[in-house]
Amino acid sequence: MIVVHVRGQGNYRLDEHASEVWFGRLDARAKLAGVFAFIVVSATLTRAELVFASLAVALTMTVVSMLPLAHIAKMYLAALPFILLASVSVFLFGGWQRGIQMWARTSACVLPLLVLAAGTESFDLFSGLRRFRVPAIITTLLMLTHRYIQLMSEELARMTLARKARGFTGGRNLLDRYGLRIISYTAGMVLVRSIGRGDRIYEGLKGKGFNGELMPWKKSHITVLDTSFVSGLVIIASVLLTLQLGVVQ
Amino acid sequence: MHIPDGLMDPTVSAIGWIEFLVVLGAVLLLAGNRIKERNLPRVAVLSAGIFVAQMLNFPIGGGTTGHLVGGALFAIIAGPLVAVIGMTVVLLIQSLMFGDGGITALGLNALNMAVIAPLTGWGVYTLLKTMTEKGGRSSAASGFVVGAAAWASVFVAAAACAAELAVSHAVSSGAYGIAATVSVPAMLGMHAVIGVGEGIITVGVLAYLWSVQPDAITSASPTKKVLPGWRALINGSTARAVVAIIIVFALALPLYFLYASAGKDGLEKTMENSNVAEGEPPLASPFSYGQDYFNALFAGLLGFLSVALVALGMMKLVRMRGSRGTNP
Repeated sequence: MIVVHVRGQGNYRLDEHASEVWFGRLDARAKLAGVFAFIVVSATLTRAELVFASLAVALTMTVVSMLPLAHIAKMYLAALPFILLASVSVFLFGGWQRGIQMWARTSACVLPLLVLAAGTESFDLFSGLRRFRVPAIITTLLMLTHRYIQLMSEELARMTLARKARGFTGGRNLLDRYGLRIISYTAGMVLVRSIGRGDRIYEGLKGKGFNGELMPWKKSHITVLDTSFVSGLVIIASVLLTLQLGVVQ
Repeated sequence: MHIPDGLMDPTVSAIGWIEFLVVLGAVLLLAGNRIKERNLPRVAVLSAGIFVAQMLNFPIGGGTTGHLVGGALFAIIAGPLVAVIGMTVVLLIQSLMFGDGGITALGLNALNMAVIAPLTGWGVYTLLKTMTEKGGRSSAASGFVVGAAAWASVFVAAAACAAELAVSHAVSSGAYGIAATVSVPAMLGMHAVIGVGEGIITVGVLAYLWSVQPDAITSASPTKKVLPGWRALINGSTARAVVAIIIVFALALPLYFLYASAGKDGLEKTMENSNVAEGEPPLASPFSYGQDYFNALFAGLLGFLSVALVALGMMKLVRMRGSRGTNP
């Protein structure tokens, strides 16, 4: 029952396709370990051919995960400004080859992360972190915050629509006192409205036996598929790292 | 300001992770008791509020927009320790669920936005507030204090980010990061302006909160106890603000020495240019620095600690003399 507080009941969720595909049924720990190992190695690659090889692996993983590609593409586009900001500055001042390499390296790291987020139910993902001994205070806060973010985003969307209906277009510049006051009052209002909601949710949680920690809600077992997934990614990561370090030419 | 994976040199990322884990461990130890059961949903609500507030874009001019970082806002509302934990949660969700900021770079991102921004914001706010309170408090003065704190939090966090990019570039001979000549002016210039927006929005949000629900979210400040000896020195709010700012500077040390161990200082460079060689010193120091990274780091930390201890000793001495003077 507590899970509903974390998962929410909204229509659009990042993890809405997680239960439909084989990737979603993998154990969260296996996914976290495999994906993190791959990302750590991909972030350290500097040889161009290895960077593109890791991007190819990331793309293959995205396709093989069977998650809807449009969904991943939407998430990738949302994360693109952060990737491009780095790549473009390198592109402008360090040459186009380095710029493209930077884009490939950051994309090879971001794609598996997006597959992980889209292909794992949020509660399972945070439970997986808890099983890896991340402090309970952090995982419980992650679960509650994630739920509140959904509530508040909906609240903000309603308020933004109401502002628009009254003719507010977002302000002109930093000297526009009226515009900035409306924006800061909106942020203040989101906080104030959420306080009452936070207290009500606490009462609800308490009624369902909350004692300060949201426990992993279902048992999970490491299966052969989980082990093969982790070993596959760890082997690929080790090969890439070995080639990068020049142990094998 | 969210650094993606693959942009920073692995050594710099590793230093970021180590520093962040040390700070987070210390904060959990100090504030863990305060965030229990009933407070958990409230901290989560605030973190979610900051996350959502980051989605609100404010206009900068010329069609560009900036968005709130919220470190100073969080720290002023809930105190610096809770802010560090809450902002960490915000960054973890951004990184894990949305790919904004990487996993290997999470240590550095958390240092910049979840440690340096709230500590600087809170430190500047507390120091300035104490100064303005002496001359009577007006709403314009408190607005200026909040605005200055929010601006400083963004500017210092951006400076840290620029320094990390520059150090990455220097130690990896250009394979990672962005050269200091580009990253420092670009980051500082951009965030000096974004910081103004952050300041205005933070002042607005706090003015709204203070007028609508003055004591709804603000965490109760811990009861003042009379502490003996050295602990009394860091009990006042001014002293704590100074400690917060010292921590921000201390966090820069490991990266600075990574940079310093790879390069030459001004004097060494001038000596090299004018073909002057270093002679044998009449006295040899027991510690050497600059030979490799760990030597430089060890010497730097030792120097930092000794200066901090001397400063604390002087403060204690001044206090002892002051209290002796007031006794009849």
